[in-house]
Amino acid sequence: MRTLLTVSRGLLAAAVLLTPVSFAFAQEQAAPPAQGGGRAGGAGAQGGGGGRGGGAAARPPAAPIRRLPDGKPDMSGFYNAAGRGANYGLEKHERWSFMPGGDGIVIAPADGKLPMQEWAKAELKQRQRPEFGYDDPTAQCTQAAGVPRPFYVPSPFQILQPPGTLLVLFERMSWRQIPLTDRPHVPDTIRMWHGDSVGRWEGDTIVVETKNLNGKAWLNEAGEILSHAATVVERFTPVNADTIRYQATITDPIVYTGPWTIEVMFNRSEGELLEVACLEDDQDLQHLKDIKDEARAKEAAGKASPAK
Amino acid sequence: MMSLRLMCGIMAVAACMAAVPASAHHSFAAEFDENKPIKLSGKVVEMRWSNPHAWIYLEVTGQDGKPEKWAFETSAANGLFRRGWRKEDLPAGTVLTIESWLARNGSKTVNAGSILLPDGRRLFAGSSNPNAKQ
Repeated sequence: MRTLLTVSRGLLAAAVLLTPVSFAFAQEQAAPPAQGGGRAGGAGAQGGGGGRGGGAAARPPAAPIRRLPDGKPDMSGFYNAAGRGANYGLEKHERWSFMPGGDGIVIAPADGKLPMQEWAKAELKQRQRPEFGYDDPTAQCTQAAGVPRPFYVPSPFQILQPPGTLLVLFERMSWRQIPLTDRPHVPDTIRMWHGDSVGRWEGDTIVVETKNLNGKAWLNEAGEILSHAATVVERFTPVNADTIRYQATITDPIVYTGPWTIEVMFNRSEGELLEVACLEDDQDLQHLKDIKDEARAKEAAGKASPAK
Repeated sequence: MMSLRLMCGIMAVAACMAAVPASAHHSFAAEFDENKPIKLSGKVVEMRWSNPHAWIYLEVTGQDGKPEKWAFETSAANGLFRRGWRKEDLPAGTVLTIESWLARNGSKTVNAGSILLPDGRRLFAGSSNPNAKQ
């Protein structure tokens, strides 16, 4: 991992280097979309982040799926997800407060709505009050953001395929190491931020089942909910050499009345991961704590002085 | 006088800013108040390239005529880098006007939306704030 300072020094040796950076980005804008983008949009829908940790090179039309020596698809590479605003709400939504709008990535049920239990609707509404921003674990720099959140937030990731394994390195400095095996899940008493994932090939698709989640992670900044009882089944399907269709089906009887499925596309680019050491200078946490403390103090004062 | 590097950096920013997703590790809605926009001008005291967010510190003349130090939160350092920003782009003393939103905790901390240079050009601070001009 290289620090930004090192990268910056190298690139800034001559100021003229910045002009080609500009040109490279302009080329990316003009590049044609990858073929077979599917419902959630193809390459370029929310791209970015190519070149040396950043700039993107122009790409020819997408080539066919690449293959490993054993004939399985080679999906390794550096990707950005076309998250389509899912970090601010999985359903289709308008912009609200500082939250950008989103197209919605829920493909099942057909109405694009999360089948939430009534208590979960109330919980979600509460999480969206400012004083609950402190409670999102990622705001506290918990780097394992749960499953499947890292696959639609605006942050890139690297996919590697060592033999028998799907390995994903997230720029926010966490990872998932998924064995492609038929081993059973770990005992129910073991709970983890990213749970226990076991994968297998189904044709050209890697199917991953995750259990043993700890239920602490939020699904996004909007505060959408997943409990420890959830089972997440993810499907990684290459569409072409540069695009992966990612689907995740969530079954969580504590939070939802039935299963639901999201879909986003991963778009390959030429970048590499940069360092995001969240605890380095997290000044937000104190602000968020102040806001929470103030709200709690007001609530307590209200209880101590009931309306006459 | 603006440096050549800064000018080139701005060119890169203008070309790429629409291509790079905005990023945050927390909810801007929780920390900042969209009903309290503020435009502040001052000289750069420091630009801190750090994670999970980079910060620009300006010396702003307060209502009482005394200098105040304000902190402007931007995207993460990696996000700025991908937008074409470079560590040396805003040297101390650069005069900026920043359109931003006040923090809910009442501190001199704001969410930076867009950054205006004296010649009228604009830099996008890279937050997920949809109110920010790009």
